[in-house]
Amino acid sequence: MTLLMDSILVLLIIAGFLLLSSSRLSNCIKIGAFQGLMVGFLPIVASGSGITYRIATIALVIAGMKGFVFPYLLSQTLRESNTIKEIKPYIGYTASIFFGVLSLVASFWLDSRLSFSVAASSRLVIPVAFSMMMTGLFMIVARKTAVNQVIGYLVMENGIYSFGLAIVRDVPLLVELGVLMDMFMAVFVMGIAIYRINREFDHIDSDQLNTLKG
Amino acid sequence: MQINAGLLLPLLFALPVLSAGVCQLLKSALVILRFCVVGVVLVSALVFVAVVMVFRNGMILAAGNWLMLDALSAYHAAVMMTVFVISAFFAVGYFREEIDREEFTLKTARRYGSLWFGAMGAMMLVLVSNNLGIMWVGIESTTLLTAFLICIHMTPGALEAMWKYLMMCSVGVAAAFTGILLAAASTGSAGINSTDALLWTNMMASVSSLNPVMVKAAFIFIVVGYGTKAGLAPMHNWLPDAHSQAPGPVSAIFSGFLLNAALYCIIRFLPIVEASSGNTGWGRGILVVFGLLSILVAAVFILGQHDVKRMLAYHSVEHIGIISVGVGLGGLGVFAALFHVFNHSICKALSFCCAGRVGQVYGTHDMHKITGILRNVPIFGTGLICGILALIGIAPFAIFMSEFMMLKAAVDSAQYWTAAAFLVGAAVVFIGALSHAISMAWKSENDGNTIPVVKKFSILDAVLVFVPLAILLVLGLWMPQPLAKFIIRAAVIVGGLS
Repeated sequence: MTLLMDSILVLLIIAGFLLLSSSRLSNCIKIGAFQGLMVGFLPIVASGSGITYRIATIALVIAGMKGFVFPYLLSQTLRESNTIKEIKPYIGYTASIFFGVLSLVASFWLDSRLSFSVAASSRLVIPVAFSMMMTGLFMIVARKTAVNQVIGYLVMENGIYSFGLAIVRDVPLLVELGVLMDMFMAVFVMGIAIYRINREFDHIDSDQLNTLKG
Repeated sequence: MQINAGLLLPLLFALPVLSAGVCQLLKSALVILRFCVVGVVLVSALVFVAVVMVFRNGMILAAGNWLMLDALSAYHAAVMMTVFVISAFFAVGYFREEIDREEFTLKTARRYGSLWFGAMGAMMLVLVSNNLGIMWVGIESTTLLTAFLICIHMTPGALEAMWKYLMMCSVGVAAAFTGILLAAASTGSAGINSTDALLWTNMMASVSSLNPVMVKAAFIFIVVGYGTKAGLAPMHNWLPDAHSQAPGPVSAIFSGFLLNAALYCIIRFLPIVEASSGNTGWGRGILVVFGLLSILVAAVFILGQHDVKRMLAYHSVEHIGIISVGVGLGGLGVFAALFHVFNHSICKALSFCCAGRVGQVYGTHDMHKITGILRNVPIFGTGLICGILALIGIAPFAIFMSEFMMLKAAVDSAQYWTAAAFLVGAAVVFIGALSHAISMAWKSENDGNTIPVVKKFSILDAVLVFVPLAILLVLGLWMPQPLAKFIIRAAVIVGGLS
């Protein structure tokens, strides 16, 4: 199963790079959905032949949420606003790609320094998880449109989820469900927030939200 | 009388959630506000019963050890209910004016009531949860539920504050979840059943077999993550915006307990990291550094502040800093810090509510335009000024006592630099806030400004302002024995006293 696992991990990295280089918001949502779907399948692949109904059910629910429900909510929000593209991000797309490469190198270096005992079948999970966390954080900081910031938050969450998968044997079911519920609520609330911001300001660029200072 | 603990703890969480649902069914804005008062009194009664039980018999466990109430969480629950009671009573007077102006419609009131109770339920979940993961779920829920409390009125400023709050706190709290995962991973060699590995009681019981490096890494993530929510500098940027844009009774909850709930999670984790790293004071040191930084940053911003609610918000940063310094000092410091939690919460809830009412009368929060409040808005003006005086540590009030104890703890344990930095910060805050308070209290009207109409205030308003002040005054002069005993028990859990 290592081959399948590694290919999914490579897909996750590619999705991260695509996110860093896309300016069309609808594409960003789709790429984010694809990454979420792949992350959702990770536990099934990771457990290999030792798969149980419990793992499979949770994995399917998570894949469904990350791959379909969240993107649906986000594209609804996007439809309400009249924004199509991220026009002037704080950090340009070339520089963003460069950051992506750097963060990937940093992730592998960090992993080699920390030497976690890995519960999953592939060692690659941890550096990939780090790189997703960094990519997500970078998107929140470097992008102006609120939708892209939410996608950044989701990418970061994907990273944290994979990291947990790698180092924790078994997160209790109730905690997993609680976290999932919070994620759903977060996307929902952020969606409403974007809708309100759009109605009040006629755009969804968070750099215009800068009157409160000091 | 025997009360079933297995029923009590879930009920503590369920009652606010139920009340949140009931708010959607009520038919008038004023009724919803009154229902908030009734609900909060009911929940407070339950909390009181629980506190008494913990005081008599020690820790209560329920739901297969997933729910737990010990002296530390019971103490925080008592503080929380005090804040919510103040907020609920003030909200009736605060929003009644807006109902008259038709700014607070039934729809707004339903949203307010449900989210207000929802936030209470989420914070209660944080306190009664024994599982670090569920605790995290509670904290994240408070972020999401309170976001729309900030923009009850959809002004541009409120929306901006809400977005900043939502993004910063979600990301921060996500970092804290990485910490929780690391904590779960650290139990790998402890041989705890993996479903129960994140239970705080289990981690404490097998603390010596946890992986200390993992626990330390977890603590860093937890301090930075929950610290964002608690408003520790340098992660405090969202705080002044959110506190200043929210309506008064909501700011009261934010400052009075939302911050403490996040800090509580850090305090909860402290004994684990201290015990597993061999009581070297590593974790405490981190808290002292963040705490001192918060005090100093807040002091600088208070000096040049124009907006009264922003000034109070920076006071929150300062006091959260003071509390973490106290916890970090250990020993008597922990006792002082926990005492300070109560003093700060009650005082800040009062100040924000009064500031909100004063702001309504003047139509602005700019301190240059708010002048002569003792004459123009006698009751709430007195409340605000006395609140600020108490916050900066004027002598007979309880905040002075807890800060003094903390200073003593610092000097006794020979941490002179900490004591010095604390004193410098407190002195700057004292000067800055006092000058603002004096100009608000006595400066005569600026030319061109019309004197605002003095509104009539009821006896209830006066009671609301003076009861919290009286409590602060009494606690400053005399500490009841049961309270001292209770705080000592809570401090023992944090590992401060033995």
